[in-house]
Amino acid sequence: MKKPIIFILLFILKLNGLNAQSICFNPMFGGSKLELNKQYFIVNSTDSIQIETLKFYISNMEFYNTEQLVFKEKNSFHLIDAEDSTTFNLMINLEPNINFNQIKFNIGIDSITNYGGAMGGDLDPTKGMYWTWQNGYINFKIEGKSNLSIAKSNDFVFHLGGYQNEFSTLQTIQLPVQNSQVIPINMAIDKWIYEIDLAKQNHIMSPSKEAVILSNKLSAIFSVTK
Amino acid sequence: MKIKTIVIGFIIVLLFAFASADKSLFTTPKNWPKPAYNFKKNQLTDSKILLGRVLFYDPILSRNNTISCANCHSQYTAFTHVDHALSHGIDDRIGTRNSPALMNLAWHQSFMWDGAINHLDMQALAPISHHDEMDENIKHVIEKLKASKIYPLLFYNAFNDSTITGENTLKAISQFMLIMVSANSKYDKVKRMEDSFTKQEENGYRLFKQNCASCHTEPLFTNREFENNGIPIDSLLNDIGRKRITQNDQDYLKFKVPTLRNIEFSNPYMHDGRFKRIFEVINHYTNIQKSKTLAKQLQKPIILSSNEKVDLTAFLLTLTDKDFLFNPKFSFPKEVLLK
Repeated sequence: MKKPIIFILLFILKLNGLNAQSICFNPMFGGSKLELNKQYFIVNSTDSIQIETLKFYISNMEFYNTEQLVFKEKNSFHLIDAEDSTTFNLMINLEPNINFNQIKFNIGIDSITNYGGAMGGDLDPTKGMYWTWQNGYINFKIEGKSNLSIAKSNDFVFHLGGYQNEFSTLQTIQLPVQNSQVIPINMAIDKWIYEIDLAKQNHIMSPSKEAVILSNKLSAIFSVTK
Repeated sequence: MKIKTIVIGFIIVLLFAFASADKSLFTTPKNWPKPAYNFKKNQLTDSKILLGRVLFYDPILSRNNTISCANCHSQYTAFTHVDHALSHGIDDRIGTRNSPALMNLAWHQSFMWDGAINHLDMQALAPISHHDEMDENIKHVIEKLKASKIYPLLFYNAFNDSTITGENTLKAISQFMLIMVSANSKYDKVKRMEDSFTKQEENGYRLFKQNCASCHTEPLFTNREFENNGIPIDSLLNDIGRKRITQNDQDYLKFKVPTLRNIEFSNPYMHDGRFKRIFEVINHYTNIQKSKTLAKQLQKPIILSSNEKVDLTAFLLTLTDKDFLFNPKFSFPKEVLLK
């Protein structure tokens, strides 16, 4: 609903010589665009996987020229939902004449924001990314089915979150990029899910050591496409 | 001329500052600590407080529109669930804990017996979503509010925006909970030199300061910490307390220290409501069984004669604040909900 307003704003900014930067997150599976609810077969096996839900937060987007911070997006919280491809593309208003060769961002919501009370936009608790019995944001949510899972209906559910001390699951990703108007970032979801032994582990729904371990493996799935 | 303009400008700025946040809606009682709640991010207004109050009393927050916050938090019992050791919610389902009394919440940074919630704004989400309480979800609540006859206008009046969001719903509920300040008991009046204790109450106060005040710290009558007060675990409920949240063995059987304000009306007592009467609570503290995580304040036995127990109780009864318990500001908003 907010998107058209953002586009109009960007257009006006552009007329004024400001710099619109697009960063596009592309969830992938087996080398091509992830399709929800599609049955994928694990390479060299008869086991299958399908992804039904993929939602995660990208936050605190920063641009660097070598080691120097040159731009930091304000109020930088973006909920990306595989069901809605319009959420893949983040439009960021850079200041004019900024040169950068690296970007840095978080997967998830930082601890200060987690202590901040009720917030709106992508952080509104109606977005289905908020734990209520022990409050805090879910940073990364993936749900689906696999014959390997022994849970009811072969489901697997991984809600990764937690912001306190040793249960912090926030991940910082740093990627070298080329200074171009559109930066496409691929996320190899298959690579991450193959790290999990679905026969032994089929759900995480609270802050835990397991959530930290799985979150730490997320950074390896991001790559910039040339 | 220039100075005049600056002065007028300054006055306008000042007026604006006062107009945007009405200070009379919330004041910190004299000699109280600074509130923990950040009012700058959710400035109190009459219309937001009214919206929060209507939401607090409206069963629309529950799955089948039968249970409101007030069901387990009724005003005349200091906003707790009287006569119920464990609170029951939707479909008469019974939870695992005694609903806490609600007052002076602006001074708290953590909520629930185990501190599972870190901000007042997010507190209401827990009972709304809990299977045994309201068994609803906030997204569906918002849909119901949007479709209702009364809420779009109440939200418009409160937020200048009839679009109903989760954020504004939670902030409005917070506003109502923030103004629930209890600071006008006999104890408070004595402290303000407007009243005086009887001899018995005076002696009770002395005993209180000696034996209880290190956890039930004045003026809030809680140190807002988590402590193991020595009550043995109930093997049926198997509630491990704060450890559930921190997964730290040091927090085994620790629960948040509750306020003693309005204790006369907030029975039953303890996180599982196991004690019905104040004398049972006092008798517990004079018979503590030692355990690994027992509060350090309870390591030394508390010894009280039966007369002293009576005096201590007399003091505890001075914490009753009838202005709070019967204040129409906090009561069922019949002018809105019965329309």
